[in-house]
Amino acid sequence: MSRTRVRTVSLCSTAGSDEDEKAIAAKPAKRTVFMAGRPPWYDVAGKQQEALVIGICGGSASGKTTVAHQIIQELGVSWVCLLSMDSFYKVLNPEEKAQAARNEFNFDHPNAFDVDLLIDTLGRLKEGKKVNVPVYDFTTHSRLPDEVVMYGANVIIFEGILAFCAAELRELLDVKVFVKEDDDVRLARRLVRDTKERGRDLEGAIKQYTTFVYPAFKQFIEPAARFADVVIPGGVSNSVGMDMLIGYVKKGYQARGFDLKQDIIDLRLTQMPKSFHQMPSSRQLVSLMTSMRDRDTDLDRFVFASERVMKLLIEFALSFVPYDSVQVTMSDGSSVTGKRVTKQLVGVAIVRAGLPLEKVLRDMVRDIAVGQLLIQTNPSSGQPEFFHQSLPKQIHKSTVLLLDASIATGQAAIMAIRVLLDHGVAEENIVLVTLLASKMGVCSVAYAYPKVTIVAANLDTDLDDDLHILPGFGNFGDRFYGTTAIKGTSPK
Amino acid sequence: MASKEWPNVTVLRRTPHLRHIMSILRSVDTEPPKFAATADLIARLVVAAALEHVEYEDLKVTTPTGTTYDGTRPAKQICGVSILRAGESMEHILREWMPSVVIGKVLIQRDEETALPKFVFDKLPSKICNCQVILLDPMLATGGSAMKAIEVLHSHGVPLANIVFCNIIASPEGIDTLTKRFPEVKVVTAEVDDHLNEKKYIIPGLGDYGDRYFGTI
Repeated sequence: MSRTRVRTVSLCSTAGSDEDEKAIAAKPAKRTVFMAGRPPWYDVAGKQQEALVIGICGGSASGKTTVAHQIIQELGVSWVCLLSMDSFYKVLNPEEKAQAARNEFNFDHPNAFDVDLLIDTLGRLKEGKKVNVPVYDFTTHSRLPDEVVMYGANVIIFEGILAFCAAELRELLDVKVFVKEDDDVRLARRLVRDTKERGRDLEGAIKQYTTFVYPAFKQFIEPAARFADVVIPGGVSNSVGMDMLIGYVKKGYQARGFDLKQDIIDLRLTQMPKSFHQMPSSRQLVSLMTSMRDRDTDLDRFVFASERVMKLLIEFALSFVPYDSVQVTMSDGSSVTGKRVTKQLVGVAIVRAGLPLEKVLRDMVRDIAVGQLLIQTNPSSGQPEFFHQSLPKQIHKSTVLLLDASIATGQAAIMAIRVLLDHGVAEENIVLVTLLASKMGVCSVAYAYPKVTIVAANLDTDLDDDLHILPGFGNFGDRFYGTTAIKGTSPK
Repeated sequence: MASKEWPNVTVLRRTPHLRHIMSILRSVDTEPPKFAATADLIARLVVAAALEHVEYEDLKVTTPTGTTYDGTRPAKQICGVSILRAGESMEHILREWMPSVVIGKVLIQRDEETALPKFVFDKLPSKICNCQVILLDPMLATGGSAMKAIEVLHSHGVPLANIVFCNIIASPEGIDTLTKRFPEVKVVTAEVDDHLNEKKYIIPGLGDYGDRYFGTI
């Protein structure tokens, strides 16, 4: 019988956000990716902050996962990644697989893990980079083709029996926790788990424990407690220990300075940055924008006018992507120098208001790949939150046209640019394209990312107290999609 | 035409021309720009068929000859709801047919742990309960996302009988599951394929519609 392990899996999670009804209720432990949005993970200058990494070590069935979940709950941080060492078991060769089938493979030894991959993954995750975490199949002892995509969080919890096994690994851990539990308690828990939940016979479970689990604990796991900043005897049931640990973690989190909202408003407005380009005014553009700004413009005419402006805007924006000179031969055999776009172009729309621009871009650039980022402003905190991404694979080699209908404070755009940088796009290869920008928004984006080209059809001066653009054109998404246009029960 | 097996399911008539454009759409050699253009052609047909299932009321109009034409207009505001992101490819088609439509969006994702569809996000018109909803998603495989989206719409007060699910390629398993769970919901599709394989891909199918339409490969 093969040794089937039901193990803790690596996942991203949101803390118990009861107030957010959109986040479907689920135990924080039990979720995959992007349930509620992710608040900013960089400072006001758009620079990446390293995540706080908490390492939890302890013997089998010592209660590591329970401690991890307790920390997630108590911290109340909305974006946490839980990385489990179990995801990093090595792929077994046929001989080792046969051993595993006879309960004779030592899964509790450091050699059973791909520690190099683990260090690389955790390091990248800490830097805020996107990582692909392997999914280990404990029946075939190989990696499944589907990987879990994780995105750098403000807090990363890493847990495993050998979480402190390598010096390089320990260096990545900002807080090291060792969960200590009596051997007989752990054995009792493990036997219950093995026999009841994993359908193993008692004899096999005891054989596994005495041959591998217990000796490995004595040799590798228990001595690792000396590396820990905090040792918690008895796990979550030790409320004094847990309080101390959570206080320690909270302090480390606040020291990272993740709250940025108040810094933003003070940004001084001097002259417009050089990276900003506004479309030259024309009577046509003014008349179309007038139609968009007029609150009495109905859905049909709003869509028409805005699609016209978007076509002009995309034409304008395409003059800011790099072009190479190319020689072409004319029909009469003579040669002329022309231009060709240097890099592959990719459009990335911020959902939802950037989507209409995506459609226009696709109509105008034949073979363009497009991606999307779902970023929503949290009405209570005023902060943007990142929910979801789908980006073309070749994006790091591309020039990216980042699309949003308007730039008010610039915070959603800054978050989107941060995500693009994290996916390997060069800052100078990003062109931010918008119908309507506020001066403050442009300055905030240019302050954070001076190399990003910003292109807008119109520029407005003011923001109101709710940070809406004045005079503006209202909520573009609602007006374009008609989501607030329904008056009665029958159509006009 | 309505299917015999599933009374509320309409499958486009399988003409040689429909099969011709379907073969372009399905061919592995069709590149994204061509794929999108072809997908739009088929979307026009299924969206038109879906619009046959909404309620109309009588409307008399006077023509320039001064005489009356007995016409109709939709009895309710029509709201297109796309399941992001493949469903979005059908939105502009619906708008072409009926410029007065309003558009809502829902994002459903596969939960990697349970493999079940999970609701992530929606933007729906505030009075969607009064609307006739056309739910847009080109591929119906297991039916999981479509059913989750229907649940979301229903929780916003949309009567199930006011939902038309507008689709391009369906699996028989998906249709079975969806119509058993929501017999009142009408389904319109261009073709029903052979089966779902063990990976829950539609066979013969066409691969990932969203990736091919948006060139995300």
